[in-house]
Amino acid sequence: MAAGSTYTPIATTTLGSNQTSVTFNSFSGYTDLRLVCALTSSANQNNYIQFNGDTGSNYSSTYIQGDGTSAASGRASGSAFGFVDYVGSTAQHTLTIDIMNYSNSTTWKTWLSRGGNAGNLTISYVGVWSSTSAITSLTFNNGTGSGLLTGSQITLYGIAAA
Amino acid sequence: MANTYTLIASSTAGSGGATDFTFSSIPNTYTDLVLEFSVRTDYTSTFDGCLLRINGDTGANYTIRNVRGNGSGATSASGSGVTNLFVGSIPGVNATSSTFQNAAIYFPNYAGSSNKSLSIDSVSENNNTTAYALLAAALWSSTSAINTLKLYPEVGTVFVQYSTAYLYGVNNA
Amino acid sequence: MSPILGIMASSISGSKAVTNSYESIATVTVGSGGSSTITFSSIPSTYKHLQIRWIGRSTRSLFVDGSIVRFNGDSGSNYSKHNLYGTGLGSVGGENSTSQTGINLGDTIGATATSGNFTPGVIDILDYQNTSKYKTLKALQGYNFDSNTSVIGFKSGLWMSTSAITSITITPEIANYAQYSSFALYGIKG
Repeated sequence: MAAGSTYTPIATTTLGSNQTSVTFNSFSGYTDLRLVCALTSSANQNNYIQFNGDTGSNYSSTYIQGDGTSAASGRASGSAFGFVDYVGSTAQHTLTIDIMNYSNSTTWKTWLSRGGNAGNLTISYVGVWSSTSAITSLTFNNGTGSGLLTGSQITLYGIAAA
Repeated sequence: MANTYTLIASSTAGSGGATDFTFSSIPNTYTDLVLEFSVRTDYTSTFDGCLLRINGDTGANYTIRNVRGNGSGATSASGSGVTNLFVGSIPGVNATSSTFQNAAIYFPNYAGSSNKSLSIDSVSENNNTTAYALLAAALWSSTSAINTLKLYPEVGTVFVQYSTAYLYGVNNA
Repeated sequence: MSPILGIMASSISGSKAVTNSYESIATVTVGSGGSSTITFSSIPSTYKHLQIRWIGRSTRSLFVDGSIVRFNGDSGSNYSKHNLYGTGLGSVGGENSTSQTGINLGDTIGATATSGNFTPGVIDILDYQNTSKYKTLKALQGYNFDSNTSVIGFKSGLWMSTSAITSITITPEIANYAQYSSFALYGIKG
């Protein structure tokens, strides 16, 4: 069996001012992508991803969450947004997103995320982008203008399979 | 660009068990920390809890919110202004023998100047109806860099022999 | 000068930093004929933990199939599984299965889903070489089945054996894995 060191940091963005979105578009040569975020973002908003500039109704996301009182789940189907996160306050929170087999040109693109913030809820998503196109750009968005706040740090990693 | 994901340190409980796993003087040369642990306690029950403290802070500076499964249903709980973080259930003496928790905690930007958020994924198995899974978002309300992490049992006196903990550092680009 | 990392426990087994601790070991991608079983054999003993990152689709003529994980060829009643799940229709819950002949992770999208739709999943196994521990896996996975139901599941599985894991098989419960299903095995040093 071949063995190879992997888990490569591709790019990091640390916001010097409030932003609406962050885009990554140079990440060839891996199997999966992983976004790791130490975020502060606007309250009561979803964070979401879009691929290749696609803003069509081509994303579906299912979540499970806990708000401290009860567990819940739900789904957004045929949406223009690939949901990965929800935050109920501007407190610092952790978000990780695994995007699987992103360069495969025969399968739809899927992701798993872990997010939420301690003061509001914890949430995990499984999502799908109904396109067989290889992902060549990835935009991470907040649902409000300039909702990704100063100091947020977002890093893209590549994971290469043997 | 170089690969990252560096094992910083590991620890294994010996025959007498370990009262805790403490990683101290953690270097600030990484971007994120990942703590993976596989532990079991001497608590004479089926499950114990695993707790975490950061930088020795025993103050009411922690907040957490979880979704939890017990093999039959799903619930959610929270703690605000608490003095430690519940990072999952640990098999105790009465759980299926030789079972240990499987858990990971991600600490992004652990040496930064903001409050410290973390994400917790934990499972503990048992060849019985009840076993626990936990997904949690947590916050340590301190702008200090994380330099110490302490895992310890909630009720039991020790993590039993063969319990392990591994601390990894991850660098960004 | 960097401070020396301190570790306090009743027994310390190592504090030397190990760079590049995350390595790819092997990948299985299903070809045009489909596959009844995914096998990782002769797994090296040089790591502490294993991770499997996968996308899967079944040829079952229904919207979902299962995926059964077994270790070292053991098909005895030596496994248990627990599941925390949420569905797109808004229900949450838990499941448990004891004394099973494998860990059925479920949730593998089937052939009635639109072509191209696959289930993603990540499986983590800590201390897979440890001969004093039963082996516990942790898994996050799920699917969005077109305009119908969908599931996200956070699962655990137990293999009641202290043997070091030397092989892993993943098998659909009912049918086969469809072409382009892909399973990648990684090792993490400890």
